[in-house]
Amino acid sequence: MSLIQPLFRLLCVLSLVLASSGSGLHGCNNSVSHEYCVLGAGPAGLQMGYFLSRSQRDYIILERNTGPGSFFHRYPRHRKLISINKIYTGRRNKEFNLRHDWNSLLSDRSDLLFQRISRELYPNADDFPRYLSMFESELGLKVKYGADIGRIKASDFNGSQGYVLTDQNGVSYQCSVLLVSTGLWVPQQVDFLGSDLVEGYESIPTDPEEFKDQAVLILGKGNSAFETAQSILGRASRIHLYSPSPVRLAWQTHYVGDLRAINNELLDTYQLKSLDGLVEGRLEDIAIVRREKDGGKRRTAKKRSQTSTEGKGQLYLTLTELLDNQNGNNISKVTGQNLPGYHTDNFSLRQPYDRVIRCLGFRFNFSIFDGSAQPPQSSGARGRLPGVTAWYEGRGTPNLFVLGTAAHSLDYRMSAGGFVHGFRYTVRAVHKILEQRYHNIAWPATKLPISQLQSWILRRVNEASGPYQMFGVLGDIILLRGSYCEYLEEFPLQALPQLFALSGRPLSDHGLLVLVMQYGLNRTDTLGPGRAESEWTKAWRSNFLHPVLYYYNTLPTEKDMRQRPVGWPLPRPDAVHHMVEDFLTEWDQPISHSQPLRRFLEHCLQTDLRAFYAESCFLLSLTSRTPPLFCHQGYLRKQGIVGNGHLWQHAREAGLMADHQGDITPRDETSVTEYLKHAGAAVVSTMNFDL
Amino acid sequence: MCIVYLIAFLFSLTAEQCFSKLIEDSSQSFMERMSTGKTSFVYFGNHVNPTIKLFMEQLEMSADALEDYGISVVKVNCSKDAIANYCTEEKLMTKAYLFRGSEVLRNFDIDTVFDVNAIVSHVLFSVLFNEVRYVHTPAELLRVETAAKQNSDIVVGHIPVLGLPEHRALMEAAFVYGTKYQFVQTTGSLVLKHMGVVDSSSSQARLWFLHCKGVSRQSDPCPSTPMTKPLNTINIHTFLQLMEAPLVTEAMLDPSEVDVVHMHLGVPVLYLFSQPQTQHLDQATAQTLALQLRGEVGVVLIHRNSPNVKTPLKYNAAYRLPQEDVKYFTLNSGEEVVKLFKEELLQEHKLEDEEEDEEHWSDPDILDDEVSESVYRDRDLMLDLESVVELTSDTFQTTVTQNGITVVLFYFKWDAVCMAFIQSYTEVADALEGVNGVQLAAVNCGEWTDICSDQNVTSFPTVLIYRPMSAAQLYRGMLGTKSLHRFILLSLVSSPTHLSSSAEVKSFLEGDVYSKHVYLTPVRVLGLFSSTHDKGVTSFEEAGRLLRGETILGLFAHKEAEQWVEGLSVNLPALLVSHGPGVPYEVYSLPSSSPTDHVALIQRVELDHFPELTVENLPWYLELGKPLLLLFIGKEDSTESTKALAEIKQPLSSGQLDSFLPCWIHLGRTPVGRSILDKYLGFVPPLPALVMSRLKTGGEVFLFPPERPLMAKNVLQWIHDVENRQEQPAGLIPDGKWGPPVPFFDFLAIMDQEAPTYAAQRGPKTKTGRREDHREQKHVTPNQRQTSHTSQNPQAPRQHSEL
Repeated sequence: MSLIQPLFRLLCVLSLVLASSGSGLHGCNNSVSHEYCVLGAGPAGLQMGYFLSRSQRDYIILERNTGPGSFFHRYPRHRKLISINKIYTGRRNKEFNLRHDWNSLLSDRSDLLFQRISRELYPNADDFPRYLSMFESELGLKVKYGADIGRIKASDFNGSQGYVLTDQNGVSYQCSVLLVSTGLWVPQQVDFLGSDLVEGYESIPTDPEEFKDQAVLILGKGNSAFETAQSILGRASRIHLYSPSPVRLAWQTHYVGDLRAINNELLDTYQLKSLDGLVEGRLEDIAIVRREKDGGKRRTAKKRSQTSTEGKGQLYLTLTELLDNQNGNNISKVTGQNLPGYHTDNFSLRQPYDRVIRCLGFRFNFSIFDGSAQPPQSSGARGRLPGVTAWYEGRGTPNLFVLGTAAHSLDYRMSAGGFVHGFRYTVRAVHKILEQRYHNIAWPATKLPISQLQSWILRRVNEASGPYQMFGVLGDIILLRGSYCEYLEEFPLQALPQLFALSGRPLSDHGLLVLVMQYGLNRTDTLGPGRAESEWTKAWRSNFLHPVLYYYNTLPTEKDMRQRPVGWPLPRPDAVHHMVEDFLTEWDQPISHSQPLRRFLEHCLQTDLRAFYAESCFLLSLTSRTPPLFCHQGYLRKQGIVGNGHLWQHAREAGLMADHQGDITPRDETSVTEYLKHAGAAVVSTMNFDL
Repeated sequence: MCIVYLIAFLFSLTAEQCFSKLIEDSSQSFMERMSTGKTSFVYFGNHVNPTIKLFMEQLEMSADALEDYGISVVKVNCSKDAIANYCTEEKLMTKAYLFRGSEVLRNFDIDTVFDVNAIVSHVLFSVLFNEVRYVHTPAELLRVETAAKQNSDIVVGHIPVLGLPEHRALMEAAFVYGTKYQFVQTTGSLVLKHMGVVDSSSSQARLWFLHCKGVSRQSDPCPSTPMTKPLNTINIHTFLQLMEAPLVTEAMLDPSEVDVVHMHLGVPVLYLFSQPQTQHLDQATAQTLALQLRGEVGVVLIHRNSPNVKTPLKYNAAYRLPQEDVKYFTLNSGEEVVKLFKEELLQEHKLEDEEEDEEHWSDPDILDDEVSESVYRDRDLMLDLESVVELTSDTFQTTVTQNGITVVLFYFKWDAVCMAFIQSYTEVADALEGVNGVQLAAVNCGEWTDICSDQNVTSFPTVLIYRPMSAAQLYRGMLGTKSLHRFILLSLVSSPTHLSSSAEVKSFLEGDVYSKHVYLTPVRVLGLFSSTHDKGVTSFEEAGRLLRGETILGLFAHKEAEQWVEGLSVNLPALLVSHGPGVPYEVYSLPSSSPTDHVALIQRVELDHFPELTVENLPWYLELGKPLLLLFIGKEDSTESTKALAEIKQPLSSGQLDSFLPCWIHLGRTPVGRSILDKYLGFVPPLPALVMSRLKTGGEVFLFPPERPLMAKNVLQWIHDVENRQEQPAGLIPDGKWGPPVPFFDFLAIMDQEAPTYAAQRGPKTKTGRREDHREQKHVTPNQRQTSHTSQNPQAPRQHSEL
């Protein structure tokens, strides 16, 4: 038996090889097994592939198309990416520069950046699959193209849930862990009367000439709606955008999924009264009807059937409630009474349209999952996304993780988890969780002496791209352990109560600090006066992205997390510190940034964190049985900071350093330079030897 | 009368004390004193040590103070006049006595009457024993109150620690006002609670005035007024004057012309304007306010109907702060004015006072870190890194492999410690310019974060030494010019230096090779092996590589090595240590072990047996954990200093001082030593001074009696006495924890104050974690708003409008 199984597997692998080489051998119950199966070779799938390959795991990326990132071959329809590709930042810090590079994936190859492909700030969409191909091939990721998984079943593998995937050729893949990175690609539709008369964003023509002198109604007010509107702005006669919610501008909400300024030309033509406009209303209540030219009652029957829109009538927007008395379905005979303009003579959308276009975004493809393997629909985002736990595992589907855009339900309309520049970091976090859960490799941590903590925090605050992009979602955790601490980067904040299980790092009774970047209350006019705070004592009123430190004595529980203050990423801590927002995002100034931070840390650690020159440490080491931490971890370990007469002079003038006699300082300084000048002469104290 | 007396007394306090009022008694004058029946405070002594010297200074000051109370302060030198009973007792020197005539009222340990405040407070408390009631419980206080009702007012002082200036202030007040008021002193926290103090843990002294005299019925409690200002003589005096002043003064003048005692006492005054028609009501209001503000603000009621009052009618109140003009305002309610005074006007004054008293570090915008501040003061200077190469990702690898030695500093521009060190670093670079094969470089980790991560640098600043073909070496020494400079130059010496003949060994230890590097260090360590095949040789060589830059290490693996240990009780392999020519070699056996063990051994044997402690070398010696036998010598290299050093050195070789670390500090080279002496003893004794400091065990500091000649045998005897607890410690090294120097800025508290719900956890019933629900609800709102615009026609489209 034990001999047969491997043999059988070998056969299957063999036949798989044959099958994929196109020989068309069918019939054998092909089966392969991998520890990790990544579904979809989009940016998230490849990103995870990179981490799995770096940690030398048994993985396969399954992709139904012939190349990576196929979504981008079609979308965005008008071929301009709105993710920023900012090459010049004035800085050479690679980590910092990722804050302004929204297209690259993470890797240890510093040249594997998107800027190699395109130097445009808003690149062409074709460049992205090209980049992904380069990423895949240069890193040698294992991708199986042309494997179209039609069905996913849950199955029991040695007591833990695994998944069996079946492709179009009947090949089945047994996966201990399934990583779903299929993205969102099923066009979102809303059911209303006449929705069949509506064209979809996925299939509309992109040539503006086709819209010449046409009146167009677009359903939706997101980026795809505005992008479509913008492309036909010069040809269409009239463009109206209709959806339930008013426009949300990304530069006001700080959410990159909201309307980006690059797409918002229509706002201009609307507000300058150039025939375009925005209207709010529920989609479920409307109906689109075609009204033939002869549909209405006419007084003179003579003048009929000629010119313009032959045969096909124009499209009207109306309400289902106005059609109700007409037996609903029969909408071929629409009369004026069925139209809102009949009842309210100045109804905004009373004029007919030549086209109605649906631009409502995309939803997750739930259809390939069997019942037991299917994650539930998320409560938010109109159920378009799968529901996941705080660590991106499907709810109710153990060992199935959702990555990439599909995992956006956790920070939908809040942070960047639905976008490449955000989910590249969540994928990295999920990978660390996998390493801990399946391989018992704890979350990587840097062990730091407490005296180095402040500069380490400042370093992260000033360069880290993960917490900066995934603000409010990923944060650095500092586990305090007395004289030292462990620094964990980019942990999913919502999962904080499960810190130990997920990271393998236990908490000590010294508590922990969490470093989060977050936007502020945002209660003021985005461009109005008082929008920025510069006084550090009012830092908690900062509106822009700024670092916030939370201190907890003990790990917050799930209940604490559920009941956290409204709009907060974390529960109420024992102490909190906001570092005041900075116009240049450089948090490095001694009075406004460093000292307040130091005092906060001093409070959390209940110790003096000031730095002392060696001379002060000398004094304190001899006159105090427990000298301050800085002396203890620096000077007494023979790493004191000596300084020079010039600096001591400053410190003495400031009253911070004891002046022992007043006349010593200048003499001391010359003695140092003297020493160096005559380095050849013996200046060693002779007293040692005279005795 | 009393006031005049007090003011005269205050004057005497401030007056220059040009001559001493301390009387020295002979036995005859002492006897005379006993017979006069006057009160005197007498100290009997026979010799002066530093502690006694300090006490005598305090005694002299107290003589001035106590003279005002008719108490003489006297010292008796027992070595001249041995007065029976007092000069003979065992407790001589450590006791002082309070006499009334020949009767001893009380005796005090001089630890209790440690300074002038303690002497005055304790003496007065003893003298006033019958006038000042000491109570411990609220019940006792109530008994005093009952007795005083309708008779006299009571002054209650809560003094948590006796002998401090607050105690003295209370006693002095009691002396002056004792006939007028009943004084009560308490130390118990029970009474504190009884008086309504919530935070009874604070050790602040407090004072209350109980208005018992005016109580109409025995059953009524005495109203009390707390004194809000700190307890000192002037404040108590002012406070008692205020208690005497009428509650409300009525006047018919403009505020600026009303003269009330409050103005003279530097207390704010509140003026209220009264209309004839509401006179009674106004008087009642004034009374209520005056009661609430009693002791802090004077209240004047001005009748408007007088033609002298010219204040515009739109104001109904005014106030005047000391040394300021009258400010008019309109008052709406009584609470408002109390709030105005309690929270703003008085507070402001208090703050100003505190600012003067406390360190100005409480200002959050002043840097209180000596390194940060000194670097910050240089912020207008451009960093000059001329002689240091700034490395980038592109140049790093080539640079560190190009030179014989590349020293690389990893730093952050915004880190004050890094920026302080970089000044030393450039000094070293300047000094080493032109030295072949040495390049100093720096990496700004704020920019080249990838290099710093690749090199595993996690601590800043870090200095790494790169040599071609070998792993980077971490510089573990002091981050200062001298240390780094010496390290780099020593790094140029190959380690270990391979020696091939006894002649070379000789040159290495004290010849030409020696003098080539003598300016770097006088110490030479030599590994002796009988042959190059010895197993220990590789381990020793590895240790040499680890110690490169720190030690000059020689290796002599040769059959002649034997002769270097001849006659010594050590076999090969061995370690020979030379502390310089002329100093006898030390030899240690070198057991075969790991390179790191060798390193530890070499570092240990390198240490001096009687080192001069300097800022740069102290940590090496403190590591030993021994009590310090510390000789402080003066700036000038006097013969006395040399002699003292020799005296301590003498018993060294015999091993009698092995349980100590004998060492010395030269106050010229290490001026901070003076501060150490001062902290240890509270004063700087004549130099040279020998101190034993038990830093690790108990923290006691002992001073070798300055009057004893500093000689080896005396020192040994003294050590013996100290160990047998026959010597009193001259000081104690504190074991305080270094807590936060300044309270942090509590954002949570501010949020709770300014936006009460913002930082509050949600209630358990609120649906949480469902932002989207919340949002969708919001979306409904505009639609709902539109319904209000609905036209009459029920068929009209309701939910569509251009917003």
